[in-house]
Amino acid sequence: MTAVTDSTESDAAVGLPRLLPPPQEKRARQGLEQHLARHGRLPYRDRAGTLIRDIESAGLTGRGGGAFPVHRKLQAVSDAADRYRRTPAVIANGAESEPASDKDATLLWLSPHLVLDGLQLAAEAVGADTAILYTHANRKNDVGARLREAIAQRQERGIDRVPVQLAEAPARFLAGQETALLSHLSGRAAVPTFMPPRITERGLGNAPTLVQNVETLAHLALIARRGPRWFRAVGTEQEPGSMLATVRRLDGQPKISEVPLGIPLLTLTGELRQDGAVLIGGYHGTWVTAGQAQQLTMDNASLAKAQAKVGAGIVITLPSDRCGIVETARVVRYLALESAGQCGPCLNALPRIAAALAEIAGGRFRKGTLEDVDRWSDQVAGRGACHHPDGTTRFVASALRTFAAEVALHKAGRCSAASKKPFLPVPQATARAETDWI
Amino acid sequence: MNQLLGKGSHTEIVSGINSSTVMWYASRATGVVALLLLTAVLLLGIGVARDKRLPGLPRFAASGLHRNVSLLATAFVAVHVVTAVADGFVKIPITAAVVPLASSYERFWLGAGAVSFDLMLAAVITSLLRRHLSRKTWRGVHLTAYLCWPVAWFHSVFASKDIQHGPLLAVGIACALAVLAAAMWRVAEAGKDVPRAERVALLMAAAHSRIHSKGSRERTFAQ
Repeated sequence: MTAVTDSTESDAAVGLPRLLPPPQEKRARQGLEQHLARHGRLPYRDRAGTLIRDIESAGLTGRGGGAFPVHRKLQAVSDAADRYRRTPAVIANGAESEPASDKDATLLWLSPHLVLDGLQLAAEAVGADTAILYTHANRKNDVGARLREAIAQRQERGIDRVPVQLAEAPARFLAGQETALLSHLSGRAAVPTFMPPRITERGLGNAPTLVQNVETLAHLALIARRGPRWFRAVGTEQEPGSMLATVRRLDGQPKISEVPLGIPLLTLTGELRQDGAVLIGGYHGTWVTAGQAQQLTMDNASLAKAQAKVGAGIVITLPSDRCGIVETARVVRYLALESAGQCGPCLNALPRIAAALAEIAGGRFRKGTLEDVDRWSDQVAGRGACHHPDGTTRFVASALRTFAAEVALHKAGRCSAASKKPFLPVPQATARAETDWI
Repeated sequence: MNQLLGKGSHTEIVSGINSSTVMWYASRATGVVALLLLTAVLLLGIGVARDKRLPGLPRFAASGLHRNVSLLATAFVAVHVVTAVADGFVKIPITAAVVPLASSYERFWLGAGAVSFDLMLAAVITSLLRRHLSRKTWRGVHLTAYLCWPVAWFHSVFASKDIQHGPLLAVGIACALAVLAAAMWRVAEAGKDVPRAERVALLMAAAHSRIHSKGSRERTFAQ
């Protein structure tokens, strides 16, 4: 794993890290024996509904970016199963198709058993007979082989009650979107579909389906063991618990930290220059200025002040020798190319916005370029089958806001960047044919 | 004419509309306008389905117009139905508006009108509730618009004698020809679909080439 986990002694005092191996075992993968020694046996409840109540009082929210209350999804699937008399399916979503994020892959590499525990407990809570782990198995360090080994080991020891299948996610930005994921698992292209029906009601093979991010499931497995009060020992009252963050500072290398929600943003970014900028939440996220960053803490209540969200916990500091507009333009080009090509608003607006940003980044301003971007962004708001256009235009708007001075510089045909080397990670391969989506 | 009706007042001769015929004329007129509006809705709908732009208007104008004109058409059909029922010259029960064959007057052709009105209501209501329906359901119902229009056309042309000659017949035929041409274009166009996975790259290339080419906006900028 290229990602380095990061923790300090003060973390140990509050019991962090919870999900990742303890610091003295840095980078050590948690085998089944270490896992059982550290966390104890898998606490099946053998009674429906009790875990859902615990999750509710713990206040666990989805860690894949949406921050949706987990107990409500569990309850919805459980209710739908009763209503339609269908046995539900549970899917652990480890697609992590956000290029700037590395926390799910790191978690699956270092603590796979915690995720698999969570998958079993969630399956028990909703009464599912199907459990699928959806991930980029071949991404790095052969996570796939490691997961297969872990699953086989658990089966041998009789730990898992529901057999777990491993599914490979295509390398597309939208592959982790719930409806795209479902479409892929049903044998079609991994493109988002229109809701309703909600997948909690009719998902995989028309069965009620629970999709949870792998980190969410790992938290769930720990809440089942240690209870809601333990979970709430860190984090804020409104947004309790800890989260995995992918932090990139000036060297550009991803570092995975497990931090309590609500910590000051600066503890993740380190000291910032006066004119620095921070990207929060990844490529559907928000740029904020160093001035804003000093006021913010890592929870949605605070980040809302800067129109930002915790998202999947990505925090990136822009180095002083790079241009925020050039970096944003490169990412937006990637996002536009990752459009599924289904819905008009996305298909028509994103390539135009990407081209306009390329004009701005390249200093080839035309009269009305900025106004065009504003207008197109307004026109796509809230439309399409998924949030891809919304997330992209939010990202673009925050860049134009945060780097207003840089935009003015580009207008004059100049750019402040000393280095032309790309900083934000952007995959090179773009989809050319239908098979790239399957 | 003048001599036959000679004793009447001037206004009666010119208009032919009086308190006993106003409903009848209103029904005729709204019926004809509704046919024109429904034709426009269908043409716009075909355009929207193929992602066509209206010249000089932004991209969303076609779908916005399609939506609003369809609501306007519904209003005209409603007035058309209510005035036809309210007119006392022929007895048409109000149920005949939605129940086919419920009227003894022009049983078959009024039935056709009821069928097309039902299909129209189905399309409008499912579109208003679109957020709550699956795309498949909505699309399934919406496709019946292709059935709704021909039925409405036959109702228009055959339910009354006054559209079977003169300028009104020309209007009816023009509507039919326009829809026929649009439908044929729609079928021909469907064969030229770009596969979904290739669309973005194509549009991306087009958007970027506009930066480098001397587009109309660049000329404006130079002036």
